[in-house]
Amino acid sequence: MFEFFNQPEVIKVIVTFGSMLLFFVGLFGLLTRKHIIKIFISIAIMESAVFLIFIGLTFKLDFIAPILDSVNVEASTMNDPIPHAMILTAIVIGMAVLALGVSFAIEYFKLTGKTDIDEMNEMRH
Amino acid sequence: MSSILFVALPLLFGFATPILSKFGKNGVAYTSTLMQLFLLALAVSLLMTTSSYVEIISIAPPLGISFVLNSASLFFVLLFTLLMMLFSFYYLIHRKTDAYKDETKFFILLNMLLAAAIGLVLSSDIFNIYVFFEIAGISAYILSAYKKTPSALEAGLKYLLTGAVASVFLVFAIALIYINIGSLNLAIISQGFETLPYNVKVLISIFLLIGFGFKVEIFPLNFWVTDVYQGSSSLVNTLFSGIVVKAYLFVFFHILYLFLPSGEFSVFLIYLGAVSMLVAEIAGLRQTNLKRLFAYSSLGQVALIFTAFAMQNADAVQAALFIVLAHSVAKFIIFLAITSIYREHKSFDITTLKELNSPFLRAIMLIAMLSLLGIPLFAGFIGKFLVLKSLAVEGMFMVLAIIIIGSLIEAVYYFKLAGFMFEKGEKRELLKISLGEKTLFGLLALALIIIGIVPMTISGFLLDAGSVMLDAKSYVTMLVGG
Repeated sequence: MFEFFNQPEVIKVIVTFGSMLLFFVGLFGLLTRKHIIKIFISIAIMESAVFLIFIGLTFKLDFIAPILDSVNVEASTMNDPIPHAMILTAIVIGMAVLALGVSFAIEYFKLTGKTDIDEMNEMRH
Repeated sequence: MSSILFVALPLLFGFATPILSKFGKNGVAYTSTLMQLFLLALAVSLLMTTSSYVEIISIAPPLGISFVLNSASLFFVLLFTLLMMLFSFYYLIHRKTDAYKDETKFFILLNMLLAAAIGLVLSSDIFNIYVFFEIAGISAYILSAYKKTPSALEAGLKYLLTGAVASVFLVFAIALIYINIGSLNLAIISQGFETLPYNVKVLISIFLLIGFGFKVEIFPLNFWVTDVYQGSSSLVNTLFSGIVVKAYLFVFFHILYLFLPSGEFSVFLIYLGAVSMLVAEIAGLRQTNLKRLFAYSSLGQVALIFTAFAMQNADAVQAALFIVLAHSVAKFIIFLAITSIYREHKSFDITTLKELNSPFLRAIMLIAMLSLLGIPLFAGFIGKFLVLKSLAVEGMFMVLAIIIIGSLIEAVYYFKLAGFMFEKGEKRELLKISLGEKTLFGLLALALIIIGIVPMTISGFLLDAGSVMLDAKSYVTMLVGG
């Protein structure tokens, strides 16, 4: 009964709609949440959605892992490795930025005790 | 090979700084400054040897990394190395009195920022552009929050939040480009972009506009800029307005010219730039904090540059490059002067200018402000005049009117500041300025005046740079062959 889901078109539709849904969940959180950590989580969700859609749409079901050895010499039946390499880099960069952001938030909380983005108005007085 | 040096040397120094600092506390600052001086000398020697310099470094064009150094990118490389070198020089002058707590970390960030800004300008691979986009971003966030006071941390947080959102949209755009075209090389994307379906084109353009829109400080995505400028130290603001935003502006329009050479979006972008300028200048009127006020002035100038770049013709791009140069130098003078004033007065309120007792600083700041305003005989005039001229040639009188109104509003607050500076009344005792600082400020102000009186000294180079930047066709043939 799950044969239906193995068709490439169905997978593409699921990936596209699923990750767009995830993207809008993140965007909604970004625009409505006020807690700084929740905003960071929303950004992480948006990032994951973009990574998913990119991998999902470039991944081909019947193709093998892109490793050249004595058995697999035919590059035409391999998945494209560039999106994977790119997304790995992007994940690392995204994590680094979020970690930096959380460390800023912690330092800020230690000094002022505030976590609400609306209360961050050191400059307004 | 020289174009790789511009990115590799600062990166190498950035990573080697912790080791260098083991050999002596003074080593880091001086060796970094020397390295920046070397890069500047290299850039100048490239400029001298050939009139139209082109160098491509690439590893198997369709896949690998490629850097393109032509006269457009050389202009920005020269500007960034010069400003960073002068910044380190200013830092060295005041190192004894107000050195940063952890100088090693500070210089790591400076060198990373320089490497990333130059990498953004040279790279011709969209994923490398993303990586440099993030490196420049991360160094800027940390520099912004460096002092770890509540307002500095708040500035850093706001900068980081907007930067993280911008990078999500940029990755989305890159993913869409790769899914539809199957390459990351700007030249190959440029060839394939025209044949894409219309809605995919629009989607990619919108995502790129949002991604870069945060970074090039364009209305309505620029709400964070003034808080970041006010929260960060005025020393670091010189880098934000002189280097960071200029690198992003170049990359954004470089990509735009390559992807949409026919200028489908240009009218929209011209109006966007003009409106941003007007909004920034109006909001700047009632500011009482020097850093915040000049942040609004930066927003206005950047929007003017944005408008000029968006016009997509050689004269307007030349004008944009003129304003880039004039604005970077003028803001460099102003923010460093504010730093010097703050060292004595311990306040950023605009009324401190009333008590300022330093004829030299007053004269220097006045020159910089007149240049920003676009008064004849100063460098800013040439750029603004050329922009208005090309707008008139194109027949866009509405935009022309908006820009003139914006400039008039800008004039109001500059003259208010000038009035404060030359007001008679109680003054503090004479502010001492060291010889090195005087030379630095004097040379920069002299540059503004010389460019203003004899623009022919650089206008040829800038026109060449502008037309090279606009010429998508030869860029593509250069990278992938006819």
